[in-house]
Amino acid sequence: MKQRHERGLAGVLRTVIGRSKLLTAAIVMAVVGAVVTALLPPLVLERAVNLLTAGNNIPFALALLYVALTFLTGLLDATRESLLIVFGQKITHGLRSALCSKLSRLPSDAFVKQDPGAAVSRFVGDVDTVEALFTSGIISMVADGGKVISILAILFVKNRGLALVLLVLTPLLFLFTRQVQKRMLAAQLANRVAVERATNHVPETIRCIRTIHALHKEQYMCKAYERHIQDSYDAVEKANFYDAVYSPVILIASALTVAAVMLLSAAGIPAVQSFFGMSVGTAAAVIVYIGSVFAPLESVGMEIQTIQSAVAGVRRIDEFLAADERWETDASITLDSLLREDVPCVELRDVTFGYDEGAPVLRDLSFVVRDGEQATLTGRTGAGKSTVFKLLLGQYNPAHGQVLIYGREASQLPDTVKRRLFGYVEQSFRLVPGTVLDQITLFDESISRAAAERAAVTVGLHEAISALEQGYDTPCGPSLFSQGQWQLLSIARAIAAEPKLLLLDEMTANLDADTEQTVLTALKNAAEHRTVLSISHRLYQQTGGRQISI
Amino acid sequence: MKQTDIARRPDRVASYFRMEWATLLAVTLSGVFYNTGLLAGPWFEGRLTQCLLDIFGGEKDFPDMLRLAGAYVAVIAAVQIARYIKRLYVRRFANHINRDMKRVLYGNLIHRNRADLEGENIGSIMTKAISDVDACAEGMRKFTTEVFDTGVALAGYAALLFWYDWRLALLSLLFPPCSYFIAEKMKAVVQRSGTAAQESRGRLSAATLDRVSSASTYRVFGCESQRDRAYEKQLEDYEKAAVRANIWVAAMPPLYQAISMISTLFIFYFGGRNVTGGGWANWDIAVFATFLSCFTKLSVKSAKAAKLFNAVQKAEISWKRIKPLMRPVPMETAAEPAPAGKLEVENLSAAYSGGTPIFRGLSFKAEPGQIIGVTGPVACGKSTLGKAILCEIPYEGSIRFGGKELSDLPSERRWDIVGYLGHDPELMSDTIRNNILLDDERSPEPLLEAVCLGREIAEMPDGIHTRIGTGGVRLSGGQQARLALARTLGHPRPLLILDDPFSALDQRTEREVFERLRILTQDSVVLLFSHRLYLFPELDQVIWMEDGQTLVGTHKELMRVSGQYAALYDLQKGGGDHEAEA
Repeated sequence: MKQRHERGLAGVLRTVIGRSKLLTAAIVMAVVGAVVTALLPPLVLERAVNLLTAGNNIPFALALLYVALTFLTGLLDATRESLLIVFGQKITHGLRSALCSKLSRLPSDAFVKQDPGAAVSRFVGDVDTVEALFTSGIISMVADGGKVISILAILFVKNRGLALVLLVLTPLLFLFTRQVQKRMLAAQLANRVAVERATNHVPETIRCIRTIHALHKEQYMCKAYERHIQDSYDAVEKANFYDAVYSPVILIASALTVAAVMLLSAAGIPAVQSFFGMSVGTAAAVIVYIGSVFAPLESVGMEIQTIQSAVAGVRRIDEFLAADERWETDASITLDSLLREDVPCVELRDVTFGYDEGAPVLRDLSFVVRDGEQATLTGRTGAGKSTVFKLLLGQYNPAHGQVLIYGREASQLPDTVKRRLFGYVEQSFRLVPGTVLDQITLFDESISRAAAERAAVTVGLHEAISALEQGYDTPCGPSLFSQGQWQLLSIARAIAAEPKLLLLDEMTANLDADTEQTVLTALKNAAEHRTVLSISHRLYQQTGGRQISI
Repeated sequence: MKQTDIARRPDRVASYFRMEWATLLAVTLSGVFYNTGLLAGPWFEGRLTQCLLDIFGGEKDFPDMLRLAGAYVAVIAAVQIARYIKRLYVRRFANHINRDMKRVLYGNLIHRNRADLEGENIGSIMTKAISDVDACAEGMRKFTTEVFDTGVALAGYAALLFWYDWRLALLSLLFPPCSYFIAEKMKAVVQRSGTAAQESRGRLSAATLDRVSSASTYRVFGCESQRDRAYEKQLEDYEKAAVRANIWVAAMPPLYQAISMISTLFIFYFGGRNVTGGGWANWDIAVFATFLSCFTKLSVKSAKAAKLFNAVQKAEISWKRIKPLMRPVPMETAAEPAPAGKLEVENLSAAYSGGTPIFRGLSFKAEPGQIIGVTGPVACGKSTLGKAILCEIPYEGSIRFGGKELSDLPSERRWDIVGYLGHDPELMSDTIRNNILLDDERSPEPLLEAVCLGREIAEMPDGIHTRIGTGGVRLSGGQQARLALARTLGHPRPLLILDDPFSALDQRTEREVFERLRILTQDSVVLLFSHRLYLFPELDQVIWMEDGQTLVGTHKELMRVSGQYAALYDLQKGGGDHEAEA
């Protein structure tokens, strides 16, 4: 459980490393091995050139050694790459798991305030940027950075002058890199915001397609989309500039270094010459070394955009993971401990509540609904009827007063008791990916097939479902049922777990009179051991429903 | 902006390349210069080594080195500037393509009708539209880059090798093709695992969308942890597929390079003999160094060529998936609301593709200013009638408006006649003002008054500029319905289909809205689909639908003729006006 509270990429990294110690160790070994073996071929080359300069042939064994070392480096590189891919996927998996579990800990308010597209782009797009670090071999490049350090170490022994030149250059290069990075990050962040807006625009268009056609607003929607992709285009264009300018600058610096070392060696000043310790063989090796010092920098530069988007992505992921969480519920509450005869099923005591501070929707509301009672909340639209339901379902805390379910604070009830306590019929049916059966059970394994079918019988939908080719196992799509039948399914979903309290949110509004009758009959049958609280239930007062005006 | 080629054939990659000829010309020029210039590096480095040797031998002096080093830096700088230009323009090219493709995709999407869109899963459309275009543009960029970086550079290096010693060059070039051969053999595996990973990714995307957008429902039902577990399974599936797909792409290049590098064996052996005398050519140390460094660069490039090859394949997979969606975008014409007219429906029947008719024999006429109620039990065919008038399903018989048969009109002209508001208010994640007017310039307040929403909106902190969240979540159901009605009234059409838009309103508000609707739609024929009947006595005609049969008449007539209608009306009337008490 401790890991749950570690936040962000760092936490995920630690978890993954902790879980796959063997893999991590293997990666470290492959990285170190590749660094060490990469150092050896230039040493062989130096020896070969010196032999040639002295007028000797290169022995076949030495040539073979060079090839063997190169091959070994290649093998180690390949191993490292493969291991990093595995590791990288573990990290992205871990990040998505962390995001998903964070979703369960967000307050309900966040679901309302946040665009689903925005959250999806975090789950998908932002994590992708981290994944790209591994697939594009950037982590390997960073590992290659290790080579730079070891090369500098060798140079310090073999050629102190060059080592010093490089040491002077390093901070300059570092500063330059930082500057490029910073500006690119700004551009990348702007791009991600624009991409998020564009991403959001697509499902919204699909949802509103009929209205768009009906009002001839295709152009309007296209223009809005165009604005988002143009914003993204501009940001990318800016990032491209820094991306393009970085590597050339690094390579020009590399050429300058080579030229400087050569000139100093050729200057004919004995002190300087001995400082640079140049034989011709060393000269050849030195060029290779300078190349290997600048090469990782250069390759990092080639992928600087990928790195920057990853930084931007990680920042946004961390932000999401650091968002305020919902309050802890009281896990000790069980259904059995809750159901006591002596307290009312629902009680509101002087409840004041508003979504925004200073704009209360409910003021000092009090009412009681006893076990087995059937009641209707009345009031004009916007009066806060649905809000009462949200409070009962524990999605919000009242500003003042108490919302009690069997004498316990509604917001303290744990998720585990909810399905058997509340049967909530939402305003509109929320289709989930799966079969008809899944629509009713909502993937709750504790609801048996028989229970789901019973629920369907109760709402009078069993025949219609059985008539389908695959019956309850028919994959569900939006065109499978009519508007009214979806509503029936919504009720079946609510009562599948035999809940104590039925909450009907503007249900009748979406049903015609006939179906309403069917449902009412079913509800009456169930009412003997169930409490019912409904909104705008016109017919309910005739069947014994008490009115509560708010 | 010129868009001719893309507008005509957006499903051809060539169109995009042709569109971008200027950018590509800049890329070509700088690319050829850069890649030719790359040869200068090893050549100069060899010269520098040799020059140093000569200086130590006393054959040359410092000024020679100064000149050489100066030239070296100048040439490298010129080459790198060319590289900067090439890199910038290749990226600009990809950026253009990315934008253009998304534009085409969106243009296509927006002209799809509702039935098409419902058939496809939203998650996969999103992946298609966004990730695939990104992957595709990225692939085209890599392809363009590598044509120069790999193709031209490889040719250059090879030419230089042949120039120095053609026999040794031939010998050295024995091994690099081996890596190509292996890469070609790997193609099938890479493609298969790549497709599998893309598919898994599509599933993951859909699962993500569901987990996020249904989060509230899952919470209320206390099944978040079950959904988390299902999502975790999807993640595991994707992890496996992605590892399988990426491991080939990442692990092979170092091996390809190692295989190519076997040739250095020959270079050391025979090249060494070239220097010491007795080889195929007469070399000095500089040539030896240049030859070796050239060959090393060639092997690095060859290894990357295989990677490029894989990247292009990935892009191809994405392109194949978006290609069918890339149709020419139809040109827009502005809305021109048709003049008021008579609606004449004769012997109408409608059926879902191939099935039995949902209803038949419906005939009625309506004049501008009339409101006609349509009602009946569930599955009576109310929504089918609505869909038939919108021509979303085919109908038999005739629906004429102003003398024109609706099914004969192109869909754009039809929308000039028919206005529609359904049960789903289809609100956008934007401000209240923009939801009503979209891009029209007028004042939204009268429309808000007409739907009794003015006061409520005025009380909101940002007034008409309040953002209402996705689908209008920050408004109550009744507010959403009225906002959508304001939008419909703001874009008047001579024939208005209102498919149960008031169901979330309480009776008093519904009555107020209805009274103003009457006034505002005096030039329109309104069909009001509803199952709440208390307003029906005030309607001009009522259509009762049941079991495929239809009855048309005034409220009074139907009360007399249809027992079910009368029973339903009386039942609801008994329900009274309890909601008006607040």
